[in-house]
Order: sequence, then structure tokens, then C-alpha cells
Amino acid sequence: MDYDSYPSCSLDARRQAQAGRDNIYLPDQAVIRKIIRENSLVNTYELTLVDELANHRFSFEPGQFMMISMPHLGEAPISFSSSPDSKDGFSLTIRNSGRLTAAVQKLRPGDIIGVRGPYGRSFPTDRLKGKNLLFIAGGIGLAPLRPLIEQRLAQPDETGSLTLFYGSRTPEDFCFNRDFSRWRQDGLDLRLTVDQAAEEWNGPVGLVTGLLDGFPINDGTMALVCGPGIMIRFVLEQLQAMGMEAENIITTLERHMKCGVGICGHCHMEEKLVCIDGPVFTAAEIPDPENP
Amino acid sequence: MIETQTLHKDYLLPLLRKLGKQYRLVGPVRNRFGDTLYIEIPDLDRVDIDLKQQPQNSLKSFFFPQTEALSSYIVDTEPASPTQLYSFHPLLPENRPTLYFGVRSCDLFAVLYMDMIFLGGKHRDIYYEQRRRGAVFVTLGCNEPFANCFCNATKNGPFLEFGFDLQLTDLGPAKNSYFVEAGKANGLNILKKWTRFFTDATKEDRQFQYQAALEARGLFRQLVHVDLACQELEKGNEPEEVLADFSQRCQDCGGCTFICPTCTCFSITDHQAKDQGSGERIRSWDGCTFAGFTRMAGDHNPIDLRRHRIRKRFFHKLKHDVQKHGRPSCVGCGRCVDMCFGGVDIIRFINAITEAGDLGRDKHRGL
Amino acid sequence: MAGLATTFGSGAMTNTINELEEAQVILVSGSNTTATHPQVARRIFDAVDKGAKLIVIDPRKTKIARRAHIHLQIRPGTDIPLLNAIMRCILDENLIDDLFIEMRTENYLAMCDLLLQVDLNQAAEITGVAADDIAQAARMYARAQRSTICYCLGVTQHVCGTANVKSYANLAMLTGHVEQEFTGVDPLRGQYNVQGACDMGALPGVFSGYQAVADPEIRKKFEEAWNCSLPADPGLTVVEMTHGGEDEGRLKAMFIMGENPMLSDPVLNRVRTSLHGLDFLVVSDIFLTETAALADVVLPAACFAEKTGTVTNSERRVQLSHKAVEPPGEARADDWIIQEISTRMGYPMQYESTREIMEEICLLTPIYGGIYHDRLHASWGLQWPCLDRGHPGTPFLHKYSFARGFGRFEPERHVPPAEPATTEFPFVLITGRRYHQYHTGTMSRRSATLKRERGTPLLDMHPEDARRLGLKDGCRIRVRSRRGSVPFTLHLSSHMDRGELFCDFHFHESPTNVLTLANSDPVAKCPEYKCCAVTVEVDHD
Repeated sequence: MDYDSYPSCSLDARRQAQAGRDNIYLPDQAVIRKIIRENSLVNTYELTLVDELANHRFSFEPGQFMMISMPHLGEAPISFSSSPDSKDGFSLTIRNSGRLTAAVQKLRPGDIIGVRGPYGRSFPTDRLKGKNLLFIAGGIGLAPLRPLIEQRLAQPDETGSLTLFYGSRTPEDFCFNRDFSRWRQDGLDLRLTVDQAAEEWNGPVGLVTGLLDGFPINDGTMALVCGPGIMIRFVLEQLQAMGMEAENIITTLERHMKCGVGICGHCHMEEKLVCIDGPVFTAAEIPDPENP
Repeated sequence: MIETQTLHKDYLLPLLRKLGKQYRLVGPVRNRFGDTLYIEIPDLDRVDIDLKQQPQNSLKSFFFPQTEALSSYIVDTEPASPTQLYSFHPLLPENRPTLYFGVRSCDLFAVLYMDMIFLGGKHRDIYYEQRRRGAVFVTLGCNEPFANCFCNATKNGPFLEFGFDLQLTDLGPAKNSYFVEAGKANGLNILKKWTRFFTDATKEDRQFQYQAALEARGLFRQLVHVDLACQELEKGNEPEEVLADFSQRCQDCGGCTFICPTCTCFSITDHQAKDQGSGERIRSWDGCTFAGFTRMAGDHNPIDLRRHRIRKRFFHKLKHDVQKHGRPSCVGCGRCVDMCFGGVDIIRFINAITEAGDLGRDKHRGL
Repeated sequence: MAGLATTFGSGAMTNTINELEEAQVILVSGSNTTATHPQVARRIFDAVDKGAKLIVIDPRKTKIARRAHIHLQIRPGTDIPLLNAIMRCILDENLIDDLFIEMRTENYLAMCDLLLQVDLNQAAEITGVAADDIAQAARMYARAQRSTICYCLGVTQHVCGTANVKSYANLAMLTGHVEQEFTGVDPLRGQYNVQGACDMGALPGVFSGYQAVADPEIRKKFEEAWNCSLPADPGLTVVEMTHGGEDEGRLKAMFIMGENPMLSDPVLNRVRTSLHGLDFLVVSDIFLTETAALADVVLPAACFAEKTGTVTNSERRVQLSHKAVEPPGEARADDWIIQEISTRMGYPMQYESTREIMEEICLLTPIYGGIYHDRLHASWGLQWPCLDRGHPGTPFLHKYSFARGFGRFEPERHVPPAEPATTEFPFVLITGRRYHQYHTGTMSRRSATLKRERGTPLLDMHPEDARRLGLKDGCRIRVRSRRGSVPFTLHLSSHMDRGELFCDFHFHESPTNVLTLANSDPVAKCPEYKCCAVTVEVDHD
């Protein structure tokens, strides 16, 4: 490697960029248009950029994320949860799990937050076309998979079979349950499971891995997995034990991040950076599979 | 041949004085307590320029300050308007063309590494770029390496082949002058513009320089096999015992990451102003040896044990950067050796790995 | 302090910190060294790397204890029976240093009498340490040529703190492990310049250099130098003051510098009452502490980097520290504050610099006699005693003879903790520090990084105790003693012994010293912070 090539190569070109347009650390303003309550801890926020031109240009890919800012509380990475083809803005689904996200829960429609992005490597959408897709999600882990589900359902001609195994703690904790009947109508095979049964629940009880038993895996099957780290680990192990190639199993990971663009170093995972080399990884690419 | 000149030591100060009109000057200065540090030099006559000692700091903070405000923000919390208004305003540093002189090879090489981190990716860091743009480096080769130096082993010293604008080599007491090589256009321009300070280098000068560079390699007091350590790590050998021992000794102070010229990790936090309605977003140095570096909301920490954190830092330097960039990102300056009071320095780590590796091989051969 | 002063004649580390590296056996007691004295711990690690043996006496499996060759995990407050048992073993195996005892010590017979009454099995029962381990530690310590004892507040913060220290001194004298390089008895001081403060007479009964207030000769010297008359009676100790003195209301006014008794002193409710009862309270500190918030007048003080002066560390090393930046706003250096107050109260003090103050210290304090500022420039400082300008300083104390002449054996018997565990209060609570925070947090809690590393007050409990009580790691609990209750977050740690708890005192939201008791050592008046009976319940608030 030649360190020397970096400082001099295109400083002139960069000179023009430094007017401020190019400041990766400067958030844009986004206004909350609508808040949808998913469960006691999770809300989905529909957002639009305040700058209309930027809003017009804005686009993202399934699996990417935004850094959101809250006053005095800094930033946190949040995955997109809406269809990338939606014309009016984007959605972020946020779980109350810390100081920043607790403050987010207090926001109302009309409030402004800061956003930077989109960042990160997206799901390999081209590779997924025509394949039989098995989505496996736990809790809020469905959020980053949802853009992909919506995208595939919108393109039935280029889509194989779609299955979603979705587990949550209790029946009240499922996110996006308003979508379930529409998804089923559109051809998604949706199966739910809960850790703790409730009276009105007559579906299966147990971990989401329990649903996998006997699921037919063939060459055209690809799995997309997201949920708590420990769940990802076990699902990945089980899918590979069932004979799936690691390249066909795709997941998305979560790490502490500060910059979101591969500089700050917080999301280092062995030689990879989750923010730019991920957050989407195939099972073959995860550097530390025991600690996803 | 204009690319190689000599500069009489008497002319160093007059030359710097001329250059100081064009550039802000930064160089190694010995303060009244006997410590040598790279500092900004507003007045050449009031400082004690020290080209003998290794500066205790590196150039890191000149491009990437320990703390800097990235932006200010305003939050409108007027009771009249129920909605939260929230806007950001960049606080870009001023671009001041700077001449860094008396820079040691390791420190320049570390800047080149930082260039790659801050400017080499898809997203460039314009705060770094503002400080970095227009910087000129006049380096000084190390005829006599310092006590903890091992840049020979990291292969970026004691003399440089590239990267500098001008590289000086002390030609010894008899000559009382520096051999000067121009590595880049800015250096060449200085030689051309201020010809009266310089003399064409003779063949003898060139030979002396070559000899000094050769001899310096034999004067290192530390024997550190960086390449072997990298190979061991590349092979996937995990020095478990070494890491367990180090984790007991590590005092979690973060000193190694702060003093390290190539530790570039940082944190970004908001500092609320007293009036509640505004604040600044601050970037500050951070260290992967801290537990809080990777802790996520809800207290989950994927890299929790101190052993893992120490591993992370050493592996980043000696394995992951080799995988990503083709060479380790330790520049062999030895500062962490002096800094760490637990004895958890990179020389110890490298030696522990290479010794374990040697033993392993010997055992394998049945010795 | 008092313990070593009685036995050796001088209350400070007898060695230099660097000497630890050359010791063959290091006995660490009541010190979480890696967390509280990392620079000392580093020497201990280096010594162990070179082959030294490490013995740790601590109720907790601290990091240093986990590295020890022998860890004597005693019950809190049982140092004396343990040490007497160790000494009994040494006596039985004839490992005593006869010559040293003969030449350098006195009162050995009394010591011997006591030791002969010690029953090893009984000691094992009291301390909770196996008799074999005690014997092994005794052999290890006594057989080495160069053994060193390091102790810290785990030894002194007990009702029998002074007696504990004397017992360690007894052990060192019994085996002749003192008065030499690389071997001695080393109390580790916990605060920046706390040694210096003691050296300068910030103790009730002495002037600078431990010169007794009660001694008329000494008093005369100071009276002449200061041209005023001085009281012959010793003053009050901190806890006597913050707990209202012996008779309530005697104290009318207080001037508190750089201390936060509203978090650091035991039985905080009493401290609050005492401070409220004052007619006038002045607090000088670098931040508005809990104590300063109660003051009539707060004087903003300069921090260490904003003033020039000397600092004395654990190993009696006096070092010069230079002002690096100007104090912000109206903050002033301590010497300025004291001089101005004195001047305005009618006793003009006009020192032109800290250098002049140091010259006065040299003049009046024999152990500091040769420590002038100019000698401290660009050096690692001087270790007292340093008697005059030509004196090189003293790396280790008591060479050729103890400061008091003969070292005096002070036989001690077990003093049970003031408040043992009961059915109602079944746990023994130990208080101390965590690595990432410092004391009452007035300084360290301002750092975002330190907050990120350790931002909440924790209570350590053995996992089995927690299972028995049905408590989970991370749950909110309340610790209750006879004096009050304090909330904590539970942290399960197998490094604790069953029935014992550990918490820090860094956080004002969990004022640990609401729980602790005021019972203190009769000599040093140091409260028993290390041991009080408590119960734990789920916090429903």
C-alpha cells in the first residue's frame, strides 16, 4: 500500500467540496409526519426531510440506516423500516432502550429531529430477485427486513415464494401487525411464535428456531435474518446445519456507532467495520460469528 | 542536481524565519521544564528548538485535535410553539497552511496513515481536511534512534523514502550541516525559492547520508520482530495467555490510545449550553481499550472483557490493518512503552507473540 | 499513622515505591492495589514477574488477590487474630530474627507472652482462613530475605485500625523485615498530597513534621517564628468536628478546604445536622460540592494545574508542581486564600511566592529541613527526612535505628468489629473505591469518559446470596443499616465472599455513608468504614 498517494491525489478536487455541502457530520432536519405505536416500547416514525430539494433527491436501499440526532443526546444508528419505493419520505422504527431513544418516545408529529445518511451496505437486492426467500425475525428485528418484504411483494413477477418466521416475547410485542393481513393476502407465508403464551394466543409457543424444523431448503432458497444477537447466532447455526450455504444466509448486525461512515472505529468487528462493510453480512462474511 | 542540497546549520533559523512568513510553523520545542513537544511557534526567537530529543507528542493533535466542536445546534423550546425545532450549524476549522519541521519519520508516516483513515474512504472528513490541506513536512532522519524506537521493524524509518516534502539528515559535527532531499513539489519549491541558503550536495555528502542511514539501522536498542508477530496473527494464532496476563496489568487508562500517533478512534457527544436551548456537538479522542467504547443502549456489550479490548487494539494494529492496508499501523515510535505504567505496551506484546511462536515451532520440531 | 508512629517512631512508608520491584515477598493487605494505587500495583506485577511471591490479605478476591500466590480471604476486621496466628507460626518454626529483636527492639517478651496464648485453630475459625494457609503464608513471609508489607485503608478504617497497623509492624520486627532497602512496612496513601497535608500538620495534635503541639519547646519555636501565642491543646479530628464535637454546639464555625464531608464522612445525617448547626461555614473547593452547597461563603479554589507548590506522595517524595494554566474566573490558589483571610482577620501574611513559604517550612520542620524549591527543579524530588541543603534525602527509613530509638513491640488482641452481622442485618458491608471514579466524584464525575465506564453506584454481592434472596443482576435494591437506607444497582460478583457486600461511595445519589457507623479508632479517630451490618431489600421506588 502506498500511503503517499492519499494526501496529494485529489486535494484540488476536494477543495471545492469543502464549502460545507460535503460535511458528513452535519445532520439534515427531518420532520415527523406520523407516529405509529407498535408496542409499549416501539414506535414507527414517518419522516420527511425539511429541505424539499433534498427530500426529492433522497433515496435508500433496504438494509441501510440513518444516524438520528436528538437535542443534547447525540446520535444513534437506526435502520429504515419502510419500502424504499415509497414516494413520501421514510420510516424509522425505534425501540426505547436508552437515553436517546427514550427521548424519541416523547416526540410528537411536527417535531424535528436530525438525520444523516443513508449509510451502510444494503441487502443484495439483485441477488434476491426470483429466489425463495425465508425471512426470520425476532422482535424489532423485523424492522430492517420490512423494506425488503415490501419491495419483493411489490414485484411479484420477480419473486419466488416468501416466508416469514417471526417471534416475539408476547403476542402484544409483535411489530407491524397492521401489515400482517395485507402481507398474507399478497402471498407471504407468515408464521408467528411467542416466548410467553397469553390466553387469547393459539399459535406456537417457543423460540423462532423451533419453526425451522422441516422447512424445505432448496438451491433457490435464501434466508434473511434479524433479531437479538443471540438469536442471530443460533438461527445462523441451525440454517447451516440444515444444509444452507453460508453465502445464502444474510443478516444485519447492530453495533455502537458514532460516525456511521467508517472513520470513528467504534463498530470494528475484527477487520470489518459494521457501518460500511455491513450492517448487512452473509453468514460467510461475519468475522466473529459467535458474537453477532 | 536541485533535489539534493545541503543546508548549513547556521542557516536553519534564517530559512525558517523566511518560511514563517508564508506558513504557520510547527516544530519540536523544549519547554522550561525540559520536555520536548511539537508546538506551534509564533516567534522563533522565543523558543528553544530541540532537534535532539524525540518529541513526546506526535503530530496527531494538529490534524485531529483531542477535542473539537463539529457543529453547534439550536433547539427551540418556546412554549408558544409546541413543536421541537432543531437545527445544526457547522463549525469548520480555519485552513492555515502550515510547515511542520523537524518531524520524525514515524510521525510523518502516522500522518499518512491518518490521511488514509480520514480522507481515503468513500466519505471524507472535511474537518481533518481543513487542517491537513496545504501542510508541508520538513522531516529529520534519525541518525541515532531513541530508547524505545523500533521503526526499523515497522519499516517506516529511521529515514524515509517518500512522503516528505524535504528530508534533512544531520551530516555530523565536522560538516555542521544538513543533507536535504526534496520529495515533493512543495519541497522542491522551497529549494528553488531560497537557493542562497542551500549548497549543491557533493558526492561525498550523498555518501555520508547513505552511511548515516545505514548505521542508524544498527543503533536500535529494541529488537522487535513486527513482521513475525504479524505472521503469527495472520495464521490465526491467538496469544491467549499473553492477553490474559495483559488484561490483569492493564489499568484501563487509555493512555496508549491517546499517545499513539495512529490511534484515530473518536467519540462524538453533545455538550449542552447553560441556556438549555443550544449546544455543541463535540468530537473527542476515544480509545478501544475502554469498556464504554462498544457498549450499546441497554447495556449490551459485544466486546466486554478487558482481555478482548486489549486484543482489539493490538489486533487492529498488527492484523486487521495488515489485512486491509497491507502493513501494520504501528509506526514504531515507542511512545506507548513510556506511557503505559502497567507494562502493556506493543513491544511486550510483539515479543510475547514471537517468543511463543518460536517456542511453538521448536516444540513442533521436537526440540 | 499513629500505629507506625508508636512502633517505629515515624508514620510513613518506610521504603521507596521502586524498591518493591526487588522484594522477594510482598504482603499486600487491605489494598485493592490495582484500582487504588495502579503505580504500586505495576511494581508488584514486575516483582512477581521477576519471581517474587505475593501474599494478599483481603476479604474480597480483588484483581491483585487473584494474582497472589496465597490469598488469605479473611472476614472483615480480623487482621489481628490472623497476624497473631502468623507470628505464632513464625515463632513455632523458629523463623524469628533473634539478632534484630535483640539489637533494635524492645518489649519483645510481652509480645512473646501474647503469641504463646494464640491458638491456631481458633484463629482459623475467627478469620475464616484455613490454618494451613496461615502457616504457609507465615513461612513464605519469614523465610525470604527481603519481605515487604503494603497496607491501605482496609487495615486502618476499623475500630482497631491503629492496633491493626501495630500488628503489621510487630510482624515486620519479629522477622527483621524493616530498616533495610527493599523490605519494610509501607502504608499506601490514597490521595494526591494527603501525605503532604499530614506532614504539614493537618492533624489535630502536631505542627509540621509531626512536632507535638503539647511539647512546650516546640510550641515556643513556632510562637517565636510566627510572633503569636499558640494553644497547647490538640484540636479535633474531622469526625469529631463533623459530628458536632464531644459536646454538641461547641463548634461555631468551620472552614473546609477541598473536602466533601457531606459524602465522605460516616453517618451523613449527623454530619448534616452538625454543619447546619454552625453559625458560619466557609468552603473552599474547585467545584460546588454537596458540602459547599451548605456554606455561607464559598471560595472558588484553583485546581492542581492552576497553582505552583509541592506535592508529597506515599513514599515521602516531595515534588514541585508548576502552574500550567491560570485559574478560571475568580478562583485563587489556596495559599492566596489563606493569606488573604489571615491578613483581613488581623494577622498580615505576605509571602511573595510559594518559594518563600517553602523556606519557612525548611526553617521550622526538621524532616523538611533541606527541601528548597530550587533543589526540586527538573528532578524527581526529594524524600524526607532531608535535614539540610546537603542532605540527599532518604529512600528508606530507619536505617541503623528506628526513628524512636528502639522499635517497640505492641502486642494486640482481637477487637471484634463494632457492628457484627445479626439476623436482622445479616450482611457485612465493606466500602471502598472503584477504579473509574474518585472519592466523592466531585472531580471524576465531570468526565464523560469516566461516566461511560462507571456511571452508576453498584453493590457487589455473591451470586449465591442473590439467588437465596431472589435478586437478579442489575436489579434495583436498597441497602439498609441501623442508620438509614441507600439505593444501589445490584452487581453479582463471585469475587465476594458469601455474607459480605461491597459498595463504593462516589455517588451522591447513593450516599453510602448514610449506612456506615461513626465508631472509630480510639487513637487515630478513623471511622470503621470497612465494616457495618446491613440488610438488602428490593427497591420498589
